[in-house]
Amino acid sequence: MALRLASYPLTLMVSLCLAAPATAALRVVASLPDVADMARQIGGARIEVTTIAEGGQDPHKVPVKPSFVTKLNRADALVVQGLGLEHAYLPALLEVARNSNILPGAPGYIDASLYIHPLEIPDSQSRTQGELHPLGNPHFNLDPTQGKLMARAIAEGLERVDPDGAEVYRAGLASYQKLLDQKIAEWDKLAAPLRGLKAVSYHPDLIYLARHYGIELVGTIETKPGVPATPGHLEELIEQMKRQKATVVIREVAYELPLAQEVAQRTGARVATVSSLTGGLPGTTTYVEFVEANLRALLAAATAKEAS
Amino acid sequence: MGPERSVSRAAAALFALAVLSSPGFGQAETPESQVSQLKAELAATKSELSRTQSALEALERKVDALVAAPATAAAAQEPAPRLDTARIAPVNADNPGISFVIDGQASTNTQGNDGAGFLLATGELFISAPIDPFLRGYASINGTTNEKFNIEEAALVTTALPYNLTVKGGRFMADFGRFPHWHDEALPFVDRPPSIENFIGGESISEGVETSWLAPTDQFIQITLGAYNSVGAARLDDPGAFGTMPGSQRSFSQFSYIVRPQTYFDLTDTLNLELGASWLTIPTNSDRELYGVDVTFRHQPGTSSFYQGTVVGVEWLWNTEQFNNVVVGTDPVTGGDVIGSGRFRRDGGYAYFESFFNRRFSFGGRYDYAQQIFGPADRQRTESAFVTWQPSEFQRLRFQIDNIGITGQDNQRFTLQWTAFIGSHSHGFAAR
Repeated sequence: MALRLASYPLTLMVSLCLAAPATAALRVVASLPDVADMARQIGGARIEVTTIAEGGQDPHKVPVKPSFVTKLNRADALVVQGLGLEHAYLPALLEVARNSNILPGAPGYIDASLYIHPLEIPDSQSRTQGELHPLGNPHFNLDPTQGKLMARAIAEGLERVDPDGAEVYRAGLASYQKLLDQKIAEWDKLAAPLRGLKAVSYHPDLIYLARHYGIELVGTIETKPGVPATPGHLEELIEQMKRQKATVVIREVAYELPLAQEVAQRTGARVATVSSLTGGLPGTTTYVEFVEANLRALLAAATAKEAS
Repeated sequence: MGPERSVSRAAAALFALAVLSSPGFGQAETPESQVSQLKAELAATKSELSRTQSALEALERKVDALVAAPATAAAAQEPAPRLDTARIAPVNADNPGISFVIDGQASTNTQGNDGAGFLLATGELFISAPIDPFLRGYASINGTTNEKFNIEEAALVTTALPYNLTVKGGRFMADFGRFPHWHDEALPFVDRPPSIENFIGGESISEGVETSWLAPTDQFIQITLGAYNSVGAARLDDPGAFGTMPGSQRSFSQFSYIVRPQTYFDLTDTLNLELGASWLTIPTNSDRELYGVDVTFRHQPGTSSFYQGTVVGVEWLWNTEQFNNVVVGTDPVTGGDVIGSGRFRRDGGYAYFESFFNRRFSFGGRYDYAQQIFGPADRQRTESAFVTWQPSEFQRLRFQIDNIGITGQDNQRFTLQWTAFIGSHSHGFAAR
């Protein structure tokens, strides 16, 4: 009886396997929406991209769903942002996905951080410094010039997995790089009022963006990376903002608004809500829209301050 | 054409002009032809100079742009680092990942002899590492106030079998139900649900071999089959059950076997449902059959900065088992125990919810119901409420109130739990 009972689900499984539709497109799983959009822009109809995390989620706290396991199990390639940004969920999923072709170091593991020069590589990895990323700050996607480097790594990775599509990926990369160049030129003109702006962020994830636009970050609401604010730290931060004349509190959409508003209210600063991922703000389904939305949010806060 | 090439061509043209205009050059040609040739060279040189001027102006514009956004351009133009395919955190090949969990508790009761006290609920050393391209291994060594020192797990897991198969062997938590195979410190409560404690005997520790298969479909379907000496810590590890010592040989019908299928549905982008069924059997002796069903419903909006989601879980177990010469009741006349034999069909389980807020807080409630596994079906019910605060990713404080009722007598227990993780600690996908 036991064997008979056990055979029913097995029969169901075999039937489902046989019924699974076959598709010609390269199956690509992207860990985050930014690299997903870039892969789509480069690979076009030649690839089929599914994404694990959503734009409004904190990339450090993405839920581990079984449906991600099946996607990874059947993937030809996995595109990650890299530098350990996906450490909270991807290793656990890969451990049970049973797909050695997409494990770190395998050809199907496409690391978008390959050509990035990381900032904030910690000298010490002691947890007294908070939740650190040993390979450096992984939030380089907020700087569109780093986006160009990400696109290059993704295109080369797709070509490695699918050499027959080399022409498609190279043409896709060239076209996308051209678009980014054009948009970067536009954004850089728009961003002129941000140069020299003094601001604080909630989490230390804006360093690449700040470098690009010439924003000076003078602190974070978090006490240390990933460690919530303490009353003492907030008092110090507020004093620091007043001393340095910081005029904008940049709050990432995955973090709570009230505390950012309180800090802004006590310092006379404005709150700018930005996202650290594509899709985090309304109307930002592509990487280009994401960068532009962040820029406009920063400009709105910066210019409102000037006007007041 | 690059600006450097334009400049060199212009220089060559100027040099040619100088040579042509030098005394004695081309004396054999007529003056008219010399003038005509020189005019042509002059026009070519002017053209080259014009192109060079344009190239220089373009370069000046680029330099201006670079000066305007120094960091931007520098970052984009720096030569790419030389890497193979990925940036991977360095791993010391000789040292595995090591972590230690400290789980301390302080509790007090309103009834009975339990009183108040401190407890080291878990002091767990966890070690894991890949062994080779085909295998990984892990071990969990736990010491507590009550159990002193115990190798909870020491297991090998294949990583490269074909057909989506994984084989695990050694001592490990057998894949029965949802919470039975979770380590104590990973549970959302300060204690293991009493019904699980009652039917499984704590964690589903077992020695044996287990294989699981993941269906190669878009729908998550996983089936686990296992064979073990026994499953569970206290009751089922009794060597006297089969007249054998743990680990000694026995007939195939005296092993414990588990079959567990599980599946998962994304109901919407934010709602999902996970279903599992478990069946444990010991064919001979106690002729035991233990069935379990677990349902986990999750709301995971993921995009709210305050409300982070809710988990609702239900797990129910049915046990049918032959017991001989055990206490089956109380003599109404003498008040003494009545000894007897028989097949006892008992059930129990729990339902709980936990909601997460503000990245660091959660609270929840649990109801648990359990019958005794044999003898009088004394009902134990436990209502619990708990709140958890995580100051950081690596430490957690939890307070739980339990109202425990056994045969009409209620006891309130208050427990404060403080858990911290030294090193990188994760039980991976299984403890999701």
